[in-house]
Amino acid sequence: MKNIFRNPNKSVAAKLIIAIGLLMIVVSFVFWYAILHKQNKDIMFIAVDYGETFIDFAKKSTFSSMSSNDREETRKVIENLSIPEGVHSLRIFDHSGTVRYSSSKERAAESVARGSQACKSCHTDPANSSELSPTPKKWSVYKDEEGNTTLKIVDRIPNELACFTASCHAHPKDQEILGFIEADLSLSLLDKTLFKQSLALTAYVAMFVLVVSICLIVILYKVVSKPVNSLVTGMGKVAGGDLEHTVEVTSSDEIGVLAKSFNAMIRDLKNAREERELWTHTLEDEVAKKTEEIQNTHASLVQTEKLASLGRMAAGVAHEINNPLTGVITFAHLLQKKVPKDGPESEDINVIIEQAERCSKIIKNLLTFARATPSEKGNVSITEVLNRTIFMLQNQAKFRHVKFDLTCKDEQYIVSGDASQFQQIFLNLFINAADAMDGRGKITIYAREISETDNSYVELEFADEGNGIKEEDMSKLFEPFYTTKPIGKGTGLGLSVSHGIVKHLGGHITVKSTVGKGTSFFVRLPMEKTNL
Amino acid sequence: MSKILVIDDEPIIRTSCERCLKPEGYEIKTTATGAEGLEFLKNEPFDLVLLDLMMPDMDGMEVLQMIKKTYPSIKVIMITGYSTVDTAVDTLRMGAFNYLQKPFNPDTLLNAVKDAVDPVESN
Repeated sequence: MKNIFRNPNKSVAAKLIIAIGLLMIVVSFVFWYAILHKQNKDIMFIAVDYGETFIDFAKKSTFSSMSSNDREETRKVIENLSIPEGVHSLRIFDHSGTVRYSSSKERAAESVARGSQACKSCHTDPANSSELSPTPKKWSVYKDEEGNTTLKIVDRIPNELACFTASCHAHPKDQEILGFIEADLSLSLLDKTLFKQSLALTAYVAMFVLVVSICLIVILYKVVSKPVNSLVTGMGKVAGGDLEHTVEVTSSDEIGVLAKSFNAMIRDLKNAREERELWTHTLEDEVAKKTEEIQNTHASLVQTEKLASLGRMAAGVAHEINNPLTGVITFAHLLQKKVPKDGPESEDINVIIEQAERCSKIIKNLLTFARATPSEKGNVSITEVLNRTIFMLQNQAKFRHVKFDLTCKDEQYIVSGDASQFQQIFLNLFINAADAMDGRGKITIYAREISETDNSYVELEFADEGNGIKEEDMSKLFEPFYTTKPIGKGTGLGLSVSHGIVKHLGGHITVKSTVGKGTSFFVRLPMEKTNL
Repeated sequence: MSKILVIDDEPIIRTSCERCLKPEGYEIKTTATGAEGLEFLKNEPFDLVLLDLMMPDMDGMEVLQMIKKTYPSIKVIMITGYSTVDTAVDTLRMGAFNYLQKPFNPDTLLNAVKDAVDPVESN
């Protein structure tokens, strides 16, 4: 509630309360003033009426004594008339201002001055001219020395038949006005009543304004300020992102309708946000998938480029080494002819020749890797080559405890290439598998057909039960000279040569491996369209 | 006695051929460039040319073509470090008698030479 008035510029309720309150205060004040004014006027009217009656009564009371010119009697009557409370003084004076009778002795000697309030009843400017006022006013109100409101009433005493025919002959017949009777009546009693009444009225008005204001504040707070505040808070929360918030306004007026629409809007907003989040999520997944694809492609491109440059380098090195190697072999042979055939020198030279020829073999592999060109291209049945290779290996000591499971014995996959090269690839893979399994276990070969961008491929899977390949070795797998076998056992060229050949044919080799469980090599080769 | 010309930019190959073949009674001349080789051929008759496939000044293929054009009777054996069937078949198609793959040992060389110049003897 305090919040309403803390910053009235920002509160509708405060504005309403202030406006209505101000209006009420102004209107109440106007009424208050009007009532007081009217009361004052009415009381004055009654007082004047009463005064006039009193004057008439005084005139009538003094008439007989005046007519008989009994001055003592007149003085007595006047004194008696001034006895009641509220009658200040009663005087009779003539046109010249000389006081003839007075209720109080001290004022009897005073004369009425020209220009005094008594003369102003009939004359416009009694001090300077005898001009008569067009609207004679018998009475006037003034404050006496004690501060009490006093009503002064002056009336003429006209000449009458009884007066100018009286035995005293005091007044001639043509004299129009014989004198004036003046009464000063105290209104202090009325003053008191008026004051009390106005006090009461003020209190009533103040009470009214207070009660109405409090009611107004409470009603406005309940009907306007509270629901509007709750709406404002709700909007703030929604703007801050809290879409769980609902505005609790249950009234059926405009603010209630506004709150309902606002809640509906929040619901819509929430649904929209959920939809968007879902969509963003899907998009993120999609992006992550694409990124991974791109990364894979990139990695394989980098790998290919690396292999290609390595191949070029290997070819260059191999080519250059061939020349000195020819020299070594030739001169070793020449030397051998010069030493005794069974001597120790001959054996040493034999070692030189053997080792040089080993170099030559390595270089041959290197060149195959670098070029990977099929020597005889033709349609080859992969299944046949596999069968032949397995048959060849089964009799070898290394594969004595290795079981082969060729699951595609009766299927035919025709691939364009060189049968001996395929045999070399399979041989490499089988030797690697046997090494990985320490010569004991099963090698399973699966074959499946795969269609990709209008081309069909045959994918051969060579699954072993070996130790698996460590993550850090994966990326170097196809690099030439990379081997995990003991020194002298492998050249590190088998897989890179196989990779080169398959690549040249438009296929590729991939690996999946779990350490401790085994490795699967996937060789994908493009199939010939003229399928059998 | 057969006269053999060895054209190879690599001195060790030239020396190897010379040392292998001379004891067998062949007359050997060697040169490092294709241009000089053709110059030799112009001046004296040879029975056989051992020709390197890759040389800095002239491509062995080019030299082979010119020899076969000018002296169709002279036999040529290509020496190649780049022994792939593609290039080998190409050289044979262009008239080479045989090809030798580096590194070769003296026996292989001798057999190839004998095949070329003394077919009866080698048989």
